[in-house]
Amino acid sequence: MAANGNGKNPLSQIKRRLLIFLAVFGPATITAMADNDGAGVATYSLAGARFGYSILFILLVVTLLLAITQEMGVRIATVTGKGLGDLIRERYGVVVAVVVFLGLAVANLGTIIADFAAIKTTAHLFNLPAMPLILIVILISYAFVFRGSYKVNQRLFLVSSLFYFCYVVSAIKARPDWGLAIKSLILPVNIKLSKEFIFGAIAVLGTTITPWGQFFVHSYIIDKRLTADKLKYEQLETFFGAFLTDFFSFFMIVATAATLFVNKIQLVAGEQAALAIKPLAGNLAGVLFGLGILNAGFMGVVIVSLSTAYAFSEFFGNEGSLDAPFEKGKTFYILFLSQLVIAALIVTIPSISLFQIVFFTQSLNGVLLPFMFFFLLKITNDRTLMGKHTNQSWYNYFATISSFIIIIASVFTIISSFLK
Amino acid sequence: MLYFSELKGKKVSTEDGILVGFLEDLIFQADQLPRLTKLVVRTPNREKISILFNALIRIDQSIRINKQYNLGDLEENELFLVKNLLDKQIIDLKGHKVVRVNDVVIQDKEGWYISGVDIGTLAIFRWLKLDRLLIRAHAAFGIRIKSHFLSWGDIQPLELSRGKVVLKKREERLQQVRSEDLADYLERTNVRNIKKFLDILDDKFSADVISHLNINYQSAIFRSFTPEKAAKALQFVDADEAVDILLSLPSKKRQQIIPLLPDAKKQEIIYLLDLSKTPIGKLITSEYLTVDSGDTVGQTIAKIRLQSQDFSFLDHIYVVNQEKQLVGVFNLHELLIQNPDTPVYKFMVQNVIVVHLSTPEEIAIKKMLKYKIFALPVIDINKKMIGLITFDDVADFIMKNI
Repeated sequence: MAANGNGKNPLSQIKRRLLIFLAVFGPATITAMADNDGAGVATYSLAGARFGYSILFILLVVTLLLAITQEMGVRIATVTGKGLGDLIRERYGVVVAVVVFLGLAVANLGTIIADFAAIKTTAHLFNLPAMPLILIVILISYAFVFRGSYKVNQRLFLVSSLFYFCYVVSAIKARPDWGLAIKSLILPVNIKLSKEFIFGAIAVLGTTITPWGQFFVHSYIIDKRLTADKLKYEQLETFFGAFLTDFFSFFMIVATAATLFVNKIQLVAGEQAALAIKPLAGNLAGVLFGLGILNAGFMGVVIVSLSTAYAFSEFFGNEGSLDAPFEKGKTFYILFLSQLVIAALIVTIPSISLFQIVFFTQSLNGVLLPFMFFFLLKITNDRTLMGKHTNQSWYNYFATISSFIIIIASVFTIISSFLK
Repeated sequence: MLYFSELKGKKVSTEDGILVGFLEDLIFQADQLPRLTKLVVRTPNREKISILFNALIRIDQSIRINKQYNLGDLEENELFLVKNLLDKQIIDLKGHKVVRVNDVVIQDKEGWYISGVDIGTLAIFRWLKLDRLLIRAHAAFGIRIKSHFLSWGDIQPLELSRGKVVLKKREERLQQVRSEDLADYLERTNVRNIKKFLDILDDKFSADVISHLNINYQSAIFRSFTPEKAAKALQFVDADEAVDILLSLPSKKRQQIIPLLPDAKKQEIIYLLDLSKTPIGKLITSEYLTVDSGDTVGQTIAKIRLQSQDFSFLDHIYVVNQEKQLVGVFNLHELLIQNPDTPVYKFMVQNVIVVHLSTPEEIAIKKMLKYKIFALPVIDINKKMIGLITFDDVADFIMKNI
């Protein structure tokens, strides 16, 4: 074919590039979409209900930060061919590796519990049997992860990503003030800079930019065996993925802002949004919103659990790939499954305080994030590892500022939570 | 034997106690015998210097080096232990990830070199200084955990500089491995595999390997050899060892092999075989003391006080592993100069001179005289210790024969 079509035939060149892009497409988008997991949707709903359209402005900032931070991870993974766990272990030794892994594993378990809780609550609201539903989620993820290859799993996640269109429909049904929504997105409109708002903003940031997200995008790119020559495409995908994620977040916030905020209905928990918007936006909107949460919970459960399993195999060197046969990747697979089972069991304990688990998880993520960015910045500026792909000076400036915003935000959350 | 985790960050000072810095890394030659060549030390003013290894005097609370030490640079074929080996991914022949290098095992007897890497979970806990806790916690449930050791012979040094630790057990490489290491490795496979390996080695080397195998492997291998092949292999094995092996075979097979041996060897072996009618069984005493390789000096001394009150003779303490196999020995002097907290595996002599039950009395006594040891442990075919023959037996034997 016209592989040497260096500008002679622009159409076939565009076609070729598009094909490469589609071949590369997957890891960054899936990671970004998974950042809108069950817990994420709950946070967005809560923020939309409480602060209305004004919180949308934060979304723009979050999208930028997500794009920049994920891009660093994507670049490191494609250039070095190593996961974040690999690099941390090899640069900082066993002790740091063990501490980071333990932190990540506990925080991830908390996130999985939160996602199961989102599934459970939504199931209750729609009078679906919660426990069988959780069991089905576990069985499906078992079937795909244990039996399927990387390719099969990527397809599953991409199909799952399509379900986020539920929120678009929900939002349209809610008949929002589109003009105000778009304006709020670009300009800081009606922002009341209260302590509550700052917390809301940080919560939105914290649910989107997560330690596991940083780990997962690395591992997933490596499992896909993307190499440095595809870096440009993968960077493009990262920006696309960040945009897509917050494109859907936009509709989540709009759907709740147009209904709950406008009518001054307070939510106790974000998961109840689906039921709460029903009388205001109609049955279809409510059901789709609920379906969206179920799907987001499923995606979160599988991907967060995978991220722990990937991280473990990177830190401690056992085989960890969706393409590995069970015999070789035993630890990887068992670790994946046991997290689901443990989380599901914890969710079923009635006396357990889910609120506290979520709070603890968020705090732990807040503690981990600064370290993640320390590692990311250290590695992306290391010429021996990154070669010509180190952070260019202007970009480094940007990345450092973004990292510091996130670090300050997480430190702020932690300190204020202790002052309460 | 030392673990690198126990050395890292250790104070480096001269013999008269002047601080040089703290150990950060080691430099070694990346070849078949990875000798340590330089100590990489971080000085108090954050400088990094590489000190030639020959300046080392000893390692106790700190690493003691000569006052006049020399500095050197990284030479060709040299690698850093931390930068190039520690924490690196180990992959197998097919490129599958297996595990990471959790610690590096350093041999401090007979020259300093890297004898292999520790890939066990225990090593991770050792870095966290929780290894004793883990061992104790397991012991509470009656489980013994041990470190998982990968011999240097299983690693391909060439790949190290590329940041990868590749396991290559490809056959043509085996010859460059030390025969002891190979024997150790082979003992972990089965007899059929061992035979396959021995077939591709040259006679001399394969005899070396055979002599380092334990007796039941030796016996199984010779049983499967044709008499001609057995005779050929035996001529490279020490006569004492050869007799042990022959005695473990059925007498019919033995009779077939002996005539095929070269003359000089045949004479010697026939003579020794005659002696086997007086094996050492009746000489064995059970007055001996064993400790676990993980026991500390303090625990050992307590054990001596408690258990050896009735002993008429105690010179050596024997070290056994979890399977109760004899793995090391040390004498009382070596014990007393150590710190109470030091585990015995750190200073024991691993190369224990032993005799078997079938060893003839005369050979056993010759061995004691040759190595000038006051007692020899007797082990069974599983390397488990049965008892001791002591200098008393030598005295009796000489008295009888004067």
